[in-house]
Amino acid sequence: MWKIFLVAFAAGAGVVVVFGFLLLGVKIANRAGAGGTNNAGSRLGGYTLAAVCGVLCVGVVVIGVYAMTKKPSSKPAKPKSALVIPAHPYSSEHSDA
Amino acid sequence: MGSTLVLVIVIVAAVSFDFTNGFHDTANAMATSIATGALKPLVAVLLSAVLNFAGAFISISVATTIAKGIVPPSATAGANGLSVVEAALIGAMTWNLITWYFTIPSSSSHALIGGLIGASLASVGGSAVSVHGIIQKVVAPGILAIFVCGIVAFLATTAAYALIRRLGQEEARAGYRYGQIGSASLVSLAHGTNDAQKTMGVVALALISTGHLSAVHFTVPIWVKLICATAMALGTATGGWRIINTMGNRITTVESPQGFAAESASAATILASSYYGYPLSTTQVVSGGVMGAGLGKRGGMVHWPVVGQMVTAWVITLPGAGLIGAAAWNISDIFGTNSKVGAIVIAALAAVVAAGLYTLSKRNRVTARDLDRTSITPELEAERAGAASPALA
Repeated sequence: MWKIFLVAFAAGAGVVVVFGFLLLGVKIANRAGAGGTNNAGSRLGGYTLAAVCGVLCVGVVVIGVYAMTKKPSSKPAKPKSALVIPAHPYSSEHSDA
Repeated sequence: MGSTLVLVIVIVAAVSFDFTNGFHDTANAMATSIATGALKPLVAVLLSAVLNFAGAFISISVATTIAKGIVPPSATAGANGLSVVEAALIGAMTWNLITWYFTIPSSSSHALIGGLIGASLASVGGSAVSVHGIIQKVVAPGILAIFVCGIVAFLATTAAYALIRRLGQEEARAGYRYGQIGSASLVSLAHGTNDAQKTMGVVALALISTGHLSAVHFTVPIWVKLICATAMALGTATGGWRIINTMGNRITTVESPQGFAAESASAATILASSYYGYPLSTTQVVSGGVMGAGLGKRGGMVHWPVVGQMVTAWVITLPGAGLIGAAAWNISDIFGTNSKVGAIVIAALAAVVAAGLYTLSKRNRVTARDLDRTSITPELEAERAGAASPALA
């Protein structure tokens, strides 16, 4: 369960923070753009920050979709489940990935 | 011919359960997006329906697990098998409808497990159930899910509001509304991956018990995938407005940063737990996320009486659905083992109960229009955030 918490924290809270910085980058770029050509560097920096954060957010989503496709039922079958199962002839042959 | 008729009734029951699962769980993904005005209610549920449909085809590992690992062959094999499966589905579906009527978000997954346990107990007896297994695989993860997601959402919300102070209220809130659409979509996709497949697994189980599918070389037929995914999507598209209202408005007052934090934390928790082999209840995870997000905002509050109602429903879901499942099996058994008359009678009774609850629900209807918050602009949300949170009904 600790692994789940750590991954959920990194992905869940992490995405919120990174998305916030994406918004910050957009704000910096918009304000620099309104200020004229002297702020070209700030504008570029803002867009770069937003782009990097955007890629990170999309990356988390892609990892999430990948996790959906690779759900392991590869956890070995336990001797007892919620309902008692008599010896199953094919449980080892069909342990899912 | 007799068992074919019963098989058809079982498949109809499964599809019906999937439909109730759809509208019951729409709230998990879309309630916060609707509550903050990020999406119009009808747009939200249609988006969720499409994503649930797509998610149902992503992986069949959950379907395989349900078909082979949850229900003991001794309970579902032979003449009793279809009756047990049908009774289980009726137990789960009826419980979903009861909690929907009382506007309480409850776990469809636990309802299905409860129905299976109850029907198996009635059919096979006490040897069919391992209490230790239920606690280890169902109860404990369910409790932990709420806390894991709640803590993550709390921390995420705290971080979001810290960033808002830097970003400016209106710009940040507008931005987080867009983020909500993405995070809510991911939750819908994850839900389709998990929940539609549980029903696929149950249908496959019924097909195995009647010899229409091989138990050794197991695959889920495409038509099973299609009907389950379609039922889930149609159920989602009907909206489940009553539960959306509870999840999005009655637990806490949700603003766009909180909504984004809650859904992001929920999506991450659901996917991480599924990946590590601990499939959790989507409803309980998201509820924990909404509570955590509610507490994460300075001055935010959670309406604990509403939470108390929800927790009570969660605690009694397993025994409640189990009792209905057991009752359904016992009624069916009056007419003989695997009797088609018994199958028709309990299906008809379930339909009568469903119609009755639907009729009663019309007395205090909740509609999409009641939940439409798109008139609340980021500016208005920021303005209200400066005032005390309004009391909720």
